[in-house]
Amino acid sequence: MKLHFTDYLIIAVYFLFVIGVGFIIKKRIKSSNDFLNSNRSIPLWITSLAFISANLGAQEVLGMVASGAKYGIMTVHFYWVGAIFAMVFLGVFMMPFYYGSKARSVPEYLSLRFDEKTRALNAITFAVMTVFSSGISLYALAKLLEVVLHWNFDLSIAIAAGIVLVYTFLGGLTSAVYNEVLQFFLIVLGLSPLVIIALHDAGGWSSIKTQLQPQMTHAWKYMGSANENPMGINFMSLIFGLGFVMSFGYWCTDFLVVQRAMIAKNINAAQRTPIIAAIPKMFMPLIVVLPGIIAITLMQPALLSKGFSIPTNEAGELDYTMTLPSLIAHYYPTGILGVGITALLASFMSGMAGNVTAFNSVFTYDIYQAHFVKNKSDKHYLNVGKMATIFGILFSIVTAYIAKSYNNINDFLQLVFSFVNGPLFATFLLGMFWKRTTSNGAFWGLLAGTLTAAITHGLTLAEGKGGWISPMFEIKSGMGQAFIVAGFSWIGNLVTTIIVSLATKPKPDHELTGLVYSLTEKPKYVTSKWYTKTLPISIVLIIVTIILNIVFF
Amino acid sequence: MLDKLNKLSFVIGLFFFAISVILLANYLTSNSQPQQVNLYSGIIFLIFGTIMMLLKNTED
Repeated sequence: MKLHFTDYLIIAVYFLFVIGVGFIIKKRIKSSNDFLNSNRSIPLWITSLAFISANLGAQEVLGMVASGAKYGIMTVHFYWVGAIFAMVFLGVFMMPFYYGSKARSVPEYLSLRFDEKTRALNAITFAVMTVFSSGISLYALAKLLEVVLHWNFDLSIAIAAGIVLVYTFLGGLTSAVYNEVLQFFLIVLGLSPLVIIALHDAGGWSSIKTQLQPQMTHAWKYMGSANENPMGINFMSLIFGLGFVMSFGYWCTDFLVVQRAMIAKNINAAQRTPIIAAIPKMFMPLIVVLPGIIAITLMQPALLSKGFSIPTNEAGELDYTMTLPSLIAHYYPTGILGVGITALLASFMSGMAGNVTAFNSVFTYDIYQAHFVKNKSDKHYLNVGKMATIFGILFSIVTAYIAKSYNNINDFLQLVFSFVNGPLFATFLLGMFWKRTTSNGAFWGLLAGTLTAAITHGLTLAEGKGGWISPMFEIKSGMGQAFIVAGFSWIGNLVTTIIVSLATKPKPDHELTGLVYSLTEKPKYVTSKWYTKTLPISIVLIIVTIILNIVFF
Repeated sequence: MLDKLNKLSFVIGLFFFAISVILLANYLTSNSQPQQVNLYSGIIFLIFGTIMMLLKNTED
């Protein structure tokens, strides 16, 4: 792939705009609350698009296209089984506690509901994970540019990290959120022509269904047995592992996304943020899953004349991660090629900025202020937040080089993330909906859940990974293994939390008002329009999602 | 103009307007490759950018 002047010009215009946004927002930053929390003043349409966009990093975009090519339409389960239901649950049931408690972060909610040790455990693991995620995003960006465009690895890291540093340092969370919205439109509008051209070239959806094995074009039909579908899992593992534990664990408790809803103007907007975000999310498979399915179709014997192929790796296997870049290289001429590459750059940088802005909030509020330096002036914490931004970027650069040195560090870290995130939802579910849950129950439940995840991984083997205790159970795909590990870790956490809670003393009811469902007055809204109410939109969303699952059954 | 830059919808509109100008200029000046995708994308970006710039929104 070779870029020309026009392509570079488009990339330069994008860089100019993202840095410009930082300078524009800088004038609004007066306090730590402005810098780290956007002063809870962001309009609903922006929080909603930022909510979905925070998850639309390049690892997500490249990964979903890759999964589309590898597993076919089953990849839509991440959206139509996982994300939508979890986002609706977050909006309807959990946002009133996050927003209403006036917590500035997810770990701070844990301190209000439980205690400081649970908050510290969550804050430290989250801070480490965000820095590593940001670094791996940076590494993946530089690697992609090196392989596809033959750009210098070190220079790519320096430019990308430098630009993210400038706009997050100047404008804090607001700047990151505004750029996430720009990134969302850039990805959707930048990749839509690719989907249209490639789909047309492949002969449309009917041709795809003819060319591919039926397992690749039916979302549910072959889920009865793990041996009948490319993902190697049955519908129970999918619904419980992905649909419940992993998706609810991510969408409902990960501060990176929840933070976007917490900066809305009021509780109604905060509740509607994930619900409005679920509307475009429902249709994202058209942009990030369909291209993968098209790509694998174009490699079928009848369509070989189209001249497209997914590159192979050193082992001679298809390198699915390169599916999207190869489609862009194959179909985009100079001009729109610059837009496609900019969309990829934007998603990498936005993913990094999202992690850094979540990191600086958690570090400042939940680690520094909570455990080291209390009762200082607001200006002090504003400066700490800015310093945390700089160090977050520097740690990300270090992590990017660590990732470069160790081939499997990404897999290892993703595994650790799943160990930590998987069980977390049990803590929140019990904490918000069972007032008997105690601080000790939450803390030991979290630790037990993580331990259960590690043991499950050690006893299962998938694609050569896991089985480090004893490979007693073999699973067809790594993704299927992740669902099973998440499911067991969640059960481990749930059972431990309940047992320890029953054996320890709970907080009195008056300390839990606003933090637990049964002790909190439900918010009432004075509005007559159904589409501004949380519940009616949620019901419509769920019905449409069910219809989509039936259509692509 | 400077006030409008405080509105995100205007900034997004201006970005896509600028990109559309580049794409359409590239289409008009190039005769070496099939450039239809640049033309159609440029027109769509132009329409989207203009709508976003003209959009009245409630953000401060």
